[in-house]
Amino acid sequence: MEKVLLKKDLNSWAGKLGSYDIYAPFKSGDVWGYELMENQAEITLDYPNTAIPPKKILFPQREVLFEFEATQEGGMEIREVLPDDTPKIIFGVRSCDARGLAKLGKISQGGIEDVYFTRRRNQTVIAGLACHNPPSPYCFCTSVGGSPHSLEGMDILMTDLGDAYYLESVTEEGVKLMGSAEGIVTDPDDKQKADKEKIHSDSEKKILLDISDMEKINEALSEIFDTGLWDRESLSCLRCGICTFSCPVCHCFDVNDEIIRTHPLKGKRVRTWDNCQFPDFTMHSSGHNPRSDKASRLRQRVMHKFRYFNENCEEFLCTGCGRCIEKCPVGIDIVEVLEKAKTYEK
Amino acid sequence: MKMEEKFEPKIVAFLCKWCSSAGSDLAGVSRLKYPPNVVPITVMCSGSVSPNYIFSAFKKGADGVLVSGCHPGDCHYMKGNYYARRRITLVKELLDFIGIEPQRFHMSWVSAAEGAKFTEIISDFVKELEPLGPQNKLRSNL
Amino acid sequence: MVTLEELKDNCRQILKEGKVKYIIGYKRKNGQYMTVPAFLDRIEEVDHLVWDPSCIYNLVRYLRDEKMRKEKEKEPDTRPVGVIVKGCDSRAVNILIQENYITRDDVYIIGVSCEKSGIVDEKKLTKKFAGKDIRKLDFAGNGKIQVTCGTKNSVVPAEEILADRCIECTIPTPIVFDVLFGEKTDREVPDPFKTIKELESFDTTRKWEFWKEEMDKCIRCYACRSVCPMCYCDECVADSISLAVKPDTTAEEKAHKIRWVEKSPVISENFNYHLIRAMHLAGRCVDCGECDRVCPVDIPLRYLNRKMEKESLDHFGYTAGMEPEKPTLVSCFREDDPEEFIL
Repeated sequence: MEKVLLKKDLNSWAGKLGSYDIYAPFKSGDVWGYELMENQAEITLDYPNTAIPPKKILFPQREVLFEFEATQEGGMEIREVLPDDTPKIIFGVRSCDARGLAKLGKISQGGIEDVYFTRRRNQTVIAGLACHNPPSPYCFCTSVGGSPHSLEGMDILMTDLGDAYYLESVTEEGVKLMGSAEGIVTDPDDKQKADKEKIHSDSEKKILLDISDMEKINEALSEIFDTGLWDRESLSCLRCGICTFSCPVCHCFDVNDEIIRTHPLKGKRVRTWDNCQFPDFTMHSSGHNPRSDKASRLRQRVMHKFRYFNENCEEFLCTGCGRCIEKCPVGIDIVEVLEKAKTYEK
Repeated sequence: MKMEEKFEPKIVAFLCKWCSSAGSDLAGVSRLKYPPNVVPITVMCSGSVSPNYIFSAFKKGADGVLVSGCHPGDCHYMKGNYYARRRITLVKELLDFIGIEPQRFHMSWVSAAEGAKFTEIISDFVKELEPLGPQNKLRSNL
Repeated sequence: MVTLEELKDNCRQILKEGKVKYIIGYKRKNGQYMTVPAFLDRIEEVDHLVWDPSCIYNLVRYLRDEKMRKEKEKEPDTRPVGVIVKGCDSRAVNILIQENYITRDDVYIIGVSCEKSGIVDEKKLTKKFAGKDIRKLDFAGNGKIQVTCGTKNSVVPAEEILADRCIECTIPTPIVFDVLFGEKTDREVPDPFKTIKELESFDTTRKWEFWKEEMDKCIRCYACRSVCPMCYCDECVADSISLAVKPDTTAEEKAHKIRWVEKSPVISENFNYHLIRAMHLAGRCVDCGECDRVCPVDIPLRYLNRKMEKESLDHFGYTAGMEPEKPTLVSCFREDDPEEFIL
């Protein structure tokens, strides 16, 4: 289904979606983030991209898995906690982030199902937004199989035509959601169709970064596992968590018990984001850490994204959003690392 | 008719073993009366009270925190209370800076002979805390 | 003014003489006007060395990596490491020496004076020159910075684009160095603690609302801790990795281990982490402002540390990193330390 929605009607459409929790980009200070919108009038889609990707809505940084409480008989009572099933809409998701959600979806289905993620994803409609201009000078979505208007992971793709949005439904959910805009939206005319096509093709050309020979990256990486490249490239790494916490596909987590009361024991088992760059990541209980230095941690990050996941699923675990490059406090650039990896001579 | 339940503040008091804790004991054996709102935790020296303890007490739901040691010059370890004084000055300023009511955190010198002073400090502390209501700012929201 | 060529010559010289293992400095970020940390171990690489207002990093942080590396090696190269330091950075070196983390012989200090200027705040810069193609920044002397956009040069007063910490900085010249470039200068700042005093003037509720909103944003990426030259603890209380969990460790045992801060990014835990960090940096923070710069969600972390700096000065007359031979702020006392607040 394809429709056109006037920009001024976006808020009244959102007003019709009362049964949904609406998430949209929101600026606080200088930082954009996805926030639960209390007031539909505040929804704006005029934004570059958020600092933290929308994965935080479907895969929150803290998730309570279950609660436990010691019983008087000496046993332990366990109560499962599942995410609430309020339907959600996320407005304005960029193509890279939607692809990230699609990849996370695939991961959540691999092996043991991640019921928390799936449950939320099934309740969520993604109304994404195609890019006119790359939101960041470090965007490289076209190099990793995406595009500024990719449909992957979207339910609806919106394209900004200036005074209106061009809506394309991608899934059944999308069709259903667009149905709710009945009366506000109109059918697109030929000019609008052509405009949209032009915006899409133009936007691709505006991506500045381009990594060539990505199909060879797997081979290149497999040859440099044990080389000095990683020592060299990780010299300035601070071992902080910005790159992975701001990544739309990084999904490593840690599970901890949070104790609320010790006598009698009561607490929660929670899952929180973890990060391969932290020194205690993969720390064994013996105190040994198989990835004990920055070099091996940086290598793990690059290898996981461009080699291991590629070998298992035949796609990259990277959507080219450029956040890790833009946000890195010391200017470590994953594109640069890949370029160096390709040409590295032992 | 249901009576409005009166707010009973909970005070966590870190008392040094040699003076303040003995002072509180003296208050007890002298049968001095003071409010039962205080949870005393005996530590070896006021100098051993890490700021972690204080933040943790607030996180675990204390409405007020007291650190009490020997008078200057009387420390069993010669100078532990001097170190504590410096550190606590900073903690007090920091807590005030982030918007915790200054009445919620105190330090005192109570010697083993000052049972009466101890009861006075606790009674005053409780009186100060009552109008503030429960401390929910730093309380754990896990 | 610092002459870059002289600085480079000195670096080449000490590398050639084998005086240092390598030099930690600044180089241009690929095709951009900003810099990244550079680790120069060959003489040719010194060509890439840069010193201009885009040298935002406190490179002293990398001495921690060097120490860890050295500890792992069987026969470590014991030559010193060269490090380029600004005024604030040099005080950080002093503290590491004061706390016996490193010795003076472990490091060859190449001081550069910020003089009347300092380093830029990238956000202020890009806001002021929005839409312009910034190519290069240069010190223009006399408290001015030259910004090259395209082929056009414009000279602006430094305060307009300087990082907040540089505007409030009173010690622009390195305190400790083996060699110093640029002039020793003092800086008159009318009120170095102006922002802090403003925050202090808020009433309790407003203070709390301010910090609550800020702490709510924290995602606990620990970039603040990671970038800090003073945060060198092998094990941070925020990590609690010492809890060895064996197959037979029971839930009760786990529950009774002390965990000061949980990993969950909720307000109480975020506060706990940042308060502990502020306390641990009291009398140690040199206000290099790195924590503030790196925060991906823009929490003004500098204010917490700056407040502690103000209190150490007001109550104890102590400024961090000035006298490495004297004891640190909280490892000493005076009998007449203020105690009006004590009951």
